Amino acid sequence: MIKCAELSISFQNKNILKDVTLEVKNHLSILGANGSGKSSFAKALSGLIEYDGDITIDSQNIKTLTPNARAKLLSYIPTKLELYDKLITVEEFVLLGRFPYKESLFSYAKKDYDIVKEMLEFLSIAHLAKHTLAELSSGEQQLTLIAQALTQQSKIIIFDEPTANLDPKNSKIIAEHIKALKEEHTIILITHDLHLAAFIDSQVLFIKDKSAKLYDKEFFSDTMLEELYGVAFSNLAVRYD
Amino acid sequence: MIKNLLWFTLIVLFFIAPFVGAVDLSLSEILQGNTLNATIFYDLRLPRVLFAFFAGGILALSGLLFQTLFRNALMTPYTLGISSGAVLGAGIAIKLGLATLLFGIGAVSLFGFAGALLTVFLLIYLSQFLRASGQEALLLLGIALSLFYTSVLMVIFYLGSAIQNDMLIRFTMGSLSVIGWKYPILIAVVALLLLLFVYRYKFELQLMSVSDEQAKLKGVNTKKVTLLLLAVSSLAIGVLVSISGPIGFIGLIIPHIIQRLYPVNITQRILKTTLFGGLFLVTCDMLSRTIQTQSELPIGIITAIIGGPFFIYLIIANAKK
Repeated sequence: MIKCAELSISFQNKNILKDVTLEVKNHLSILGANGSGKSSFAKALSGLIEYDGDITIDSQNIKTLTPNARAKLLSYIPTKLELYDKLITVEEFVLLGRFPYKESLFSYAKKDYDIVKEMLEFLSIAHLAKHTLAELSSGEQQLTLIAQALTQQSKIIIFDEPTANLDPKNSKIIAEHIKALKEEHTIILITHDLHLAAFIDSQVLFIKDKSAKLYDKEFFSDTMLEELYGVAFSNLAVRYD
Repeated sequence: MIKNLLWFTLIVLFFIAPFVGAVDLSLSEILQGNTLNATIFYDLRLPRVLFAFFAGGILALSGLLFQTLFRNALMTPYTLGISSGAVLGAGIAIKLGLATLLFGIGAVSLFGFAGALLTVFLLIYLSQFLRASGQEALLLLGIALSLFYTSVLMVIFYLGSAIQNDMLIRFTMGSLSVIGWKYPILIAVVALLLLLFVYRYKFELQLMSVSDEQAKLKGVNTKKVTLLLLAVSSLAIGVLVSISGPIGFIGLIIPHIIQRLYPVNITQRILKTTLFGGLFLVTCDMLSRTIQTQSELPIGIITAIIGGPFFIYLIIANAKK
């Protein structure tokens, strides 16, 4: 369970979120306009940016966690990977997910390699293992990022606009993987894609004007969407099914 | 094939290196022992070749580290002005006439080391005022420091005696000439410690070479690891430059050559870069001893003459692909 108490996030002296207090039961989709602070919220959760107030996960304040403990608790999947070393292969990249569990200073264990293999097969990208990341398509890159997050074996997985760069086919593949992951993980999904959010079917956090509000299923009713976005939608929730 | 041939050639040259120079030595003379040539071999040539080998390793590995940590192919201890700091330190010691030994190490070396170290601290301190994305600004800072050091050095030149100036010019051109085993052993220990240290942090380095964000998400304290690695490699460079003077280009080109020859991730390039840097500098040093002028050519000039065109060739060859 994720709780936020008076959470405020600023960037360059500008308030992005102000005094957000909420309690999320389990899975969560975060929606809102561009620049509304969705990614900032996720980055605060992952420890990438500073914030005021408190975030607790299963009654543990995440500010008190060591970087290593936090990596074991949550993983964050960016929309797109910015690589400096373009020579790393898929296999090597996915193995980095095991870093928080590495016991020996000088090498990974056999178990780590087994988990990598398992995840690559699970996501049907084992054939890409020896390719470098730069050679992959956007869809394959997203699958590689998911594979890395899964090898990290964290309870919570944060997806930051996973389908933003994908064609409809790849979007559907990724959507189905995310939905399947709900069984064993807590999914936090940041997206603009209402279809995807409806398909994942979790509580919704809508961020607008520096504040955030939680919704259940009623979020996807036409009247509510019109109220929040200011434009009319109809018959929305069926597309990925 | 070309790769193997290149390694093979460099390794052969490494074994030939102690035998060539102002006086060419033969194996039989050395095995007889107690001859002048045997003394040259054991007290001058062999220490010098090993000194060059470990020095090249330190220069290449530090270059790889700086380039990776700053995510910029132009970042090396040399381009950031750390070597110039050492030169200025040495210049001050020479001008003050400090020839005395402290703990068996010359004052010129100690001042050179202090100059390198102060430059590192200055860079780290000043970089706080740069934005996280201020890589270019840091490079400019290094260049600005170098220019400033050079102008101070000019003042020292202007005020210096002919003897002092001659010493200073020799130091600025770099030299791998050593007598006896004290410095080779010191530099070997420094090189091995640096290598061990980098191996200890190679997975952190791998994560950081992907992206800073990735490293943080996996629980790496990126700030701490960056500072630690920079500090340790700068220490190694400081020790080396205080003895040999500045030797440019090795740290810049060797990591590039290895990356072109072996397009693999950084953890698999650490040892190759170190060894290649060592063998390359031994070859350069051998050239400096065999190209006969009035005396041997300074090593810094050789590395620049070989390194510059080779670097240009690599850039063009890569652009053609």
